[in-house]
Amino acid sequence: MTRNGEMTSDVAVRKNQYYDSVFLMSVASRMLKEPGVADAAALMGTEGNQQMLVEMGFDPVRVGEATAHDLVVALRGKGEAVRTILADLDSWLERKEGSLSTPSASSWDEARRRQPGSNIAVVSVPGRHAAREAHAALDAGMNVFLFSDHVSVEDELALKKKASQAGLIVMGPDCGTAIVAGMGIGFANAIRRGPVGVVASSGTGLQEFTTLIHRAGSGISHALGTGGRDLSDAIGGLSTQAALRALEADRSTQAIAVLSKPPGARTLRALMAALADCRKPVVVCLLGLTEAELPHGGRFKVARTVDEAASLALQLTGGRLPVPPRSSAEVTEVLSREVALMNEGQKYIRGLFAGGTLCYESQQILRDQALTVHSNAPLPDLLRLSDARASVEHTLVDMGADEFTEGRPHPMIDASQRSARIRAEGRDPQVAVLLLDVILGYGAADDPAGDLVEAIRDAKGEAERRGGHLAVLASVCGTDSDPQGLEKQEAALRDVGVLLFRSNAQATLAARELVSRIDERRG
Amino acid sequence: METGLESLLRYGPVAINLGLRGFAESLFRQGAQVVHVDWTPPADIDDETAAILDKLL
Repeated sequence: MTRNGEMTSDVAVRKNQYYDSVFLMSVASRMLKEPGVADAAALMGTEGNQQMLVEMGFDPVRVGEATAHDLVVALRGKGEAVRTILADLDSWLERKEGSLSTPSASSWDEARRRQPGSNIAVVSVPGRHAAREAHAALDAGMNVFLFSDHVSVEDELALKKKASQAGLIVMGPDCGTAIVAGMGIGFANAIRRGPVGVVASSGTGLQEFTTLIHRAGSGISHALGTGGRDLSDAIGGLSTQAALRALEADRSTQAIAVLSKPPGARTLRALMAALADCRKPVVVCLLGLTEAELPHGGRFKVARTVDEAASLALQLTGGRLPVPPRSSAEVTEVLSREVALMNEGQKYIRGLFAGGTLCYESQQILRDQALTVHSNAPLPDLLRLSDARASVEHTLVDMGADEFTEGRPHPMIDASQRSARIRAEGRDPQVAVLLLDVILGYGAADDPAGDLVEAIRDAKGEAERRGGHLAVLASVCGTDSDPQGLEKQEAALRDVGVLLFRSNAQATLAARELVSRIDERRG
Repeated sequence: METGLESLLRYGPVAINLGLRGFAESLFRQGAQVVHVDWTPPADIDDETAAILDKLL
């Protein structure tokens, strides 16, 4: 144990105890909420994790005692707090009630014996073991939802070729979301069944699309993820093509939407050919492309944003997006009131996103509206932040990117990093508007909005103390049927003065308009 | 003939979950058929040996 003033740090290694990473992050997250705890990590002792713990300042000798099969818990904080937790580590590692009811098996073979007719494997084991397990599933005739990341391109291609030959699909690697026949897999929302099918290479894009369809009163037949690399030329869109064919054959699907970041050139041509041949109406949304780069002339409809893709898909199936609660004139009026309260020096947008695709979408919208934007996950032609933790002028941060999530919980699960960043932006006198997404659904935090409100209140308070005003614009990606409840989540944000919009695209456009009002005021 | 993917869409997921237990729990809560496998990493062997073992077992 080392001592530094009142602060203590300590490391505990538990030999041959394996826990999954999300569970361990929830343990660390609970520990961080204990009074007196400054830093907490609970990880398997892989080489990468050991290195990270050493970089975090924990004792390299103690950390080095662990192997990949051992659990490591590292804590920093007031001596009493650290000692109390480590003395009672067993109870911290107990799972919450409710987990016992899910049927479980000790092996792959036992699971198949217990449940003959299994048709999909949901694989989220560490990346280096994922391809092997996915091959085993395909060999057993099962489709694969592959959440794991750090799977090589070569492995991905081999898996997808095997799936393709067998009439199966591999959704992933790094696939966060799918909905199959009304059942959400991974990080999905509770969505009504209906006539719209969707294929997407991005998790949060798929969540945004499906929630917009649900909130318009329609529903989703199936939402199939493909993994972020599927439409690269290295993979050639094998899963996207398989999903398209299956949705075309599926009787419950009337129209199909395809959502993706820019595909490889060769794969884009093949995709366009497949879409042109599709017997069902299709909407395509390729985020990140400029107007000039968009495909034209096909029979399919082209959407610029996920919001627009949902709107077009609804039109094709006889529905429409609900009228926004405020007219555009009312939005302008509300934004003008916000601007009137601001200081002279306030001028920048700071977007802090849990959803990577939503960050990407917002960059595209602001770029199209002639605003120069910096990001840690920039569009191909935009500016990359030299330090993801320091904003520059207009900045949009993907807080789910690797630099924030290596060994730490994703912002969809834990709000502590995003809360800290909200407060930091609040201390910057040049910030005029915070742009946020709040993502609900299975797998997300129990109270994603509630976890942010204190930080939002603090940031707004900071601006007011300087005689200014901080506008906070947000959208909640969720439905009334989600475990967290859309209405309750929106009410919590509204209570601290957040202006809410139907979608991320709408919130981003409003942020842009707000900056225009500021520019007009400055003349 | 119906492919394995078409059949998945028609009948809905009957899932085996390897890894994050929470994914099995949320499927179970939604009423899906699911079995969770208490997965642990295999012993440290190189990929070549693993491939040979896979073939033998």
